[in-house]
Amino acid sequence: MKYTHFKLKLRSLVAVLVMFAISATVNAQQISISGIVKDAGNGEPVLGVNIFEKGTTNGTITNFDGAFTLSIPSNATLVIKYVGYTSQEILVAGKKNLVIQLKEDAIALGEVVAIGYGTVKKNDATGSVTAIKPDKLNKGLTTNAQDMITGKIAGVSVISNGGSPGGGATIRIRGGSSLNASNDPLIVIDGLAMDNDGIKGVANPLSTVNPNDIESFTVLKDASATAIYGSRASNGVIIITTKKGVIGSKPRVSYEGNMSVSTIKKTLSVLNADQFRSYVDTLYATQPATISKLGTSNTDWQKQIYQTALSTDHNISVIGGFKHMPYRFSLGYTNQDGIVKTSNFERYTGAFNLSPSFFEDHLKINLNAKGMLVNNRYADGGVVGSASTMDPTQPITSTDPVYVNNFGGYYQWYTTDSQTGRTVGNLNAVKNPVATLNQKKDVSNAKDFIGSAEFDYKVHFLPELRLHLNLGMEASTGTQTLYIDSLSASDTHHGRQGYESISKINESLSYYMQYAKEIGENKFDVMGGYEWQKFHREKTNEYQGFETNVVDPKTGHIGGYDYSSTPSKNENFLVSFFGRLNYSFNSKYLATFTLRNDGSSFFSATNRWGLFPAGAFAWKINEEDFLKDNNFISDLKLRLGYGITGQQNINQGDAPYLPVYSISKTGASYPLGANGEYLTTYKPVVYNSDLKWEQTATYNAGIDIGILNSRITGSLDYYHRVTNDLLNTVEIPAGSNFSNQVISNIGSLKNDGIEFSVNAKAISTKDLTWEIGYNVTYNKNEIIKLISGTKANYVVETGGISSGIGNNIQAHAVGHAASSFYVYQQVYDSITGKPIPGKFMDRDKNSIINGDDRYFYHNPTPDVTMGLSSKLIYKNFDLGITLRASIGNYVYNDVAASHANISISNVYSADAFTNIASSSLETNFTGDNLGDYFKSDYYVQNASFVRCDNITLGYSFKNLFKVISSGRLYATVQNPFVITNYKGLDPEIGTIDGKTGIDNNIYPRPMITMVGLSLNF
Amino acid sequence: MKYKNIKIFIPIMCFALAISMFSCVDDLNVTPIDPSVTQTFNQDQVFTKIYSSLAATGQKAPDGDPDVKGVDEGFSAFYRSIWNVNELTTDESLWAFNDTGIPELQYNNWTSANLLLKGLYGRLYFNITLCNHFLEQTVGKDDAITKKQRAETRFMRALNYFYLLDMFENVPFMETVTLQASAFPIKRTDLFTYVDTELAACEKDMYQAGEAKPYYRVNVVANWLLQSRLFLNAEVYTGTAKWDSAAIYAAKVIDPSSGYSLCPTYRQLFMGDNAGVLDGSTVNMAPNEIIFPIAQDGIQTKNWGGSEFLIASIHSPDMPSSGISVQWSCARARATLVKKFFPGNAVFTDNNDLTTAKAPTLSVKDSRALFLKGGVIIKKKDGSADSINTATRTMGIISNTFTQGYSVIKFSNLRADGGKTHDTQWPDMDIPFMRKAEAYLTYAEAVYNGASPINGSAVNAINILRSRAGKTTALTSLTKQNIIDEWAREFFFEGRRRMDLIRFGQYGGIGTGYTWDWKNGIAAGADIDAKYNIFPIPSTDLNANPNLTPTPGY
Repeated sequence: MKYTHFKLKLRSLVAVLVMFAISATVNAQQISISGIVKDAGNGEPVLGVNIFEKGTTNGTITNFDGAFTLSIPSNATLVIKYVGYTSQEILVAGKKNLVIQLKEDAIALGEVVAIGYGTVKKNDATGSVTAIKPDKLNKGLTTNAQDMITGKIAGVSVISNGGSPGGGATIRIRGGSSLNASNDPLIVIDGLAMDNDGIKGVANPLSTVNPNDIESFTVLKDASATAIYGSRASNGVIIITTKKGVIGSKPRVSYEGNMSVSTIKKTLSVLNADQFRSYVDTLYATQPATISKLGTSNTDWQKQIYQTALSTDHNISVIGGFKHMPYRFSLGYTNQDGIVKTSNFERYTGAFNLSPSFFEDHLKINLNAKGMLVNNRYADGGVVGSASTMDPTQPITSTDPVYVNNFGGYYQWYTTDSQTGRTVGNLNAVKNPVATLNQKKDVSNAKDFIGSAEFDYKVHFLPELRLHLNLGMEASTGTQTLYIDSLSASDTHHGRQGYESISKINESLSYYMQYAKEIGENKFDVMGGYEWQKFHREKTNEYQGFETNVVDPKTGHIGGYDYSSTPSKNENFLVSFFGRLNYSFNSKYLATFTLRNDGSSFFSATNRWGLFPAGAFAWKINEEDFLKDNNFISDLKLRLGYGITGQQNINQGDAPYLPVYSISKTGASYPLGANGEYLTTYKPVVYNSDLKWEQTATYNAGIDIGILNSRITGSLDYYHRVTNDLLNTVEIPAGSNFSNQVISNIGSLKNDGIEFSVNAKAISTKDLTWEIGYNVTYNKNEIIKLISGTKANYVVETGGISSGIGNNIQAHAVGHAASSFYVYQQVYDSITGKPIPGKFMDRDKNSIINGDDRYFYHNPTPDVTMGLSSKLIYKNFDLGITLRASIGNYVYNDVAASHANISISNVYSADAFTNIASSSLETNFTGDNLGDYFKSDYYVQNASFVRCDNITLGYSFKNLFKVISSGRLYATVQNPFVITNYKGLDPEIGTIDGKTGIDNNIYPRPMITMVGLSLNF
Repeated sequence: MKYKNIKIFIPIMCFALAISMFSCVDDLNVTPIDPSVTQTFNQDQVFTKIYSSLAATGQKAPDGDPDVKGVDEGFSAFYRSIWNVNELTTDESLWAFNDTGIPELQYNNWTSANLLLKGLYGRLYFNITLCNHFLEQTVGKDDAITKKQRAETRFMRALNYFYLLDMFENVPFMETVTLQASAFPIKRTDLFTYVDTELAACEKDMYQAGEAKPYYRVNVVANWLLQSRLFLNAEVYTGTAKWDSAAIYAAKVIDPSSGYSLCPTYRQLFMGDNAGVLDGSTVNMAPNEIIFPIAQDGIQTKNWGGSEFLIASIHSPDMPSSGISVQWSCARARATLVKKFFPGNAVFTDNNDLTTAKAPTLSVKDSRALFLKGGVIIKKKDGSADSINTATRTMGIISNTFTQGYSVIKFSNLRADGGKTHDTQWPDMDIPFMRKAEAYLTYAEAVYNGASPINGSAVNAINILRSRAGKTTALTSLTKQNIIDEWAREFFFEGRRRMDLIRFGQYGGIGTGYTWDWKNGIAAGADIDAKYNIFPIPSTDLNANPNLTPTPGY
């Protein structure tokens, strides 16, 4: 579809909508009634209950005191509806004051959860689906929506990529099903499937929603649930629904805000100035010239780069309904300083929702617009490392002219450029981290807009038939500007400046028809639809030094110093047809079949279409006669599911099946012209015309159980997932294509896991309630095939580390988990028990220690993860705590390994000192023949941990100063403690730059103390 | 609007939507819109890539869009990967960093999983595939321009096959691009014949000797020089010596009609303006001698695999400037190399400042002895004086230690005319990939081994090089050791040593009678197994290509 066609359709639909709005009218003789709605169980007023006149759209909702007023005909019937409670109908019959007792739904599972292209009652779900509402009471600092699900859902692992403000996270649902393709779940926001590639300043699709606007999360885990999303569903789906307005309600204003203080918890233990001086004095006793390079200062560099950071977050929302036109809009402002100096995150968000319905709910429209502006200043990521290695005997600043004139007064290791005679920074030396922070300004400014329009029409002459149309788009641009001072050590005298700008426009149109019919004990629900999505992305960038008078004598090229520019543009399309059949018999036996046919422009016409079927069966055992009258078990459901999902997110350009030539960029040309002119080169790019979908087959078996009228609910799931035709970068026969590797569909990977979750209302009395939630996940990942042949001992090295160039610490191999550590077995001194540098076991016993002696030793993904949350409410006080544990995750301690060499050649090298970490003194690698000491299993360390995410104490109040109907004041400590044996700073290492489980100076996660206030007016 | 109308309107709209969805399916036929790619074969640009793939490692500078994958991009550079395996495994150089695969190379215990070998092998086959593609795309075109381009492409393909032949023995062989096809290995002797035949066949269509040509393109003289190199090693490759042929082709290069002459000043060959007038330098005479330069430029041709790594690796910040402000401090000379210039216990008194373009006038009178402060002393890096005899003791374990061993200052980005280069981080120094001096040594060695003299005696040919180096005393006779040592003195750190040592029987094998410090990972040096004369076909290709068998011994 052309873009113009799309716009035309959008326009005509809007016109239709406006006409509907005009044509709808309300006219009747009215009386005014008022009332209060209470929970029949505990007598508490219930907020947000829908109350409307039967057969009309005239209605309202209860306020925070459970009260409502409504103008209706005196003989009307009131309908009272609230999720989780039994609906009631009350004849008004002239009564003007009503007290309505709401009874909890016997099964309390009337709750509706969003699944792909539709909703389902939770107790009718056949797949592995977890729906959660954001925890209003104990949420901590939730700048990003990802923070709200951390540790809350079995099988969902969320690991933040360090503690930088506004930073992203690695989200894995049931481990990773891919090796080289993306393992990120699909995120669907208000029906719009998002593109996983962020822009500058927006870490991931979850960052595009203000957490305060989120109504619910639904996580689809098994294939029977996700297969409706076909080719993007292999890694699970997270569906986010944002908050909506309420029919006929008066506008209500709420405020939600907090202020917080972040502090660094722990820094790397390194030598202080005196200790370092004494170490150097001993080490270089015979080299007074070297000792003389020591300074006289005492600088704690780590102290210099960290700060106590302040943050504030304010949100205002207005919710209501202008007659049949419910609306909600909200504004949010977040300003968060990072604990590394200069880093800051600032965000403005606005969200608008309009969800009118017309013709007695025959036509429902849901319009969503979300916009945001993000300004992010990044601290140079290298300072965490350089602060731990910078010589502590040197001062931060110096008045010596050499530093004043060349480095803006900052101390730096320097050298002389013989050509120009100028003093320049020593590129091989550690750079002054304070100078790096202050002399570099790296700022991103991003704008993001997400709009969606949903139309749901229940056909007048055939109410069982619903037509649903969803139009959506995301438009965003982000520009990251870089400025490095010309007096910086990294770019002395010429500085560096430039920008990278990414803009994207993603458009989507989905359309489905749904037909639901009950015939006796048989219930059918058939849905069929179509979806079209277009992803368009453009990138431009330019970088150069300030010295713009550089003229190349050969070409006459005039440009800034070291100019570079690599613009790019990409576009891809997805076209899909999908359908689903839900069938239930006797309300006991449920079956779901889904089918999706996806076409992706990434693949050639022959391989373009992928068919993704899924089926699931559920048996509501509690509906059987032998359990029906059982008072103990209120719900018991067995689920079995199987399905195939796909993966097309391969990050290989627009059409990796097409042969193309890649055009050389600035600096990669060659002077082949007649007079030495530089010519651009064209390189044929390696391609695979046979490329197709990666397919994951998932088997899932689960049990849902509810005990004591659902006071205790639990789920147990077992899954077995096998990914075939793995999108895998494989070696190809030399000389057969335009590189030695190409992405191919070779290999298989499997994941087996068990998930268990339980939620219990341990105590439920009028004054005291205590709720506990616990979840645990076990996952095992194993590669079962990597190459087409049968060669043994084939490994694919991965996981680059910082010691040396091109060294890897992990490998993929058959029979092992993906990215398993592939290391030498350390030999230890039998007396001291310390590792002997560079001494490894000759595992193949051929008397030569070389690459063949490496072995597989653990992997970075945890075997077991757990989450525990507890919420205690006593009268107006509430206390919440969330804990999270990870067991069996191993980390390569790159920080320790890259510090380990404290020999005479390394502490002072390239004319500069490097500080020593305490961990290096423990190993004491001082000899000359250290060899590949850093590839030792010694540095692969058990990083199991228990972390406390949040502890919150809150106090709720009502009717304050007349204008405030209710509110809550709370204090939270986030990340107060971590229990671990891991020797590095933080055991929780996500996937950073595609590497997983390698601890290399991540931005430290702060401890955050916060006070917050919610007010409802 | 009335209900009735809506009832009609909505289904109609639905129908319209349903129709439109089929047209959307056509959207899936995309053509790439990225401005950095094109679907059109552009002859000149692809031809340029054939040359550029000797310098660049990909389409972005200095890295970011690599030709060869699965290895650090810098380690997939044509020159650097050849340099690594031919220098670090020999008596010439050591590398102080624990970069991947380096320890295995310099201690002579590499395996077929070595990533540097993978990078090298991947580079050679990428280049061959590129040549095959160009030849396929231009087949049947016989205009003058295309004919020359095709001839040079065949030369380049032969050059890459020559390195495979030299280093890997029986390697997969293909002359066409057949996607995903597993090529069959060719026997080393057959590949020798193929390279020989190809070089002979493309001679006539190349730029001829003396004919004006673009500086960076090759002519027939380069072809002759490569043929002489092939024949010089014929006995190693095939078991049958071809000394006569080696001498004939070397003599063609030596002959003044080739259009090349020795650069009077040795050091100028390795300086920032070694493209002479093309670099705007009237002083630097290097182009007289350089038959085949690989271009490098501080702005236009930047990469981690050319003169950047050569210059940066041998320099440290406390040394006189190299003309770039990047000093890696990691490549050092082995003691055995230094001793080729300073035998016994010689101490050197002349001073020479590296920053001038003049030839060092050492007491040993060899301007090729480009070691740190070439002249005053051979200096330990900590600043204290040291005499050569204690070298083996102070060499220590080199692996992590730049303060031990001896610095080489052969390569720099300084200009012979004292002018400024384009950049202070990326050098302009072209790699003198093939230069005329090689022909003299090849000729001398071939004649010494029995080839009929064409252009004077063997000793005379060597004396020409020695005299250019400023040595006042001419040799009167030759020994085998003289020749192999002269190869080292003339060409050390230029990426060919291994080949020469193998030819002289001084590399792999038990009882070679020649070791060097750290040969076989032992400070005093020890023999290594004869299997190390051949590098193993990388395990990655053994896995990918079922037609291959592992190299014996690995």
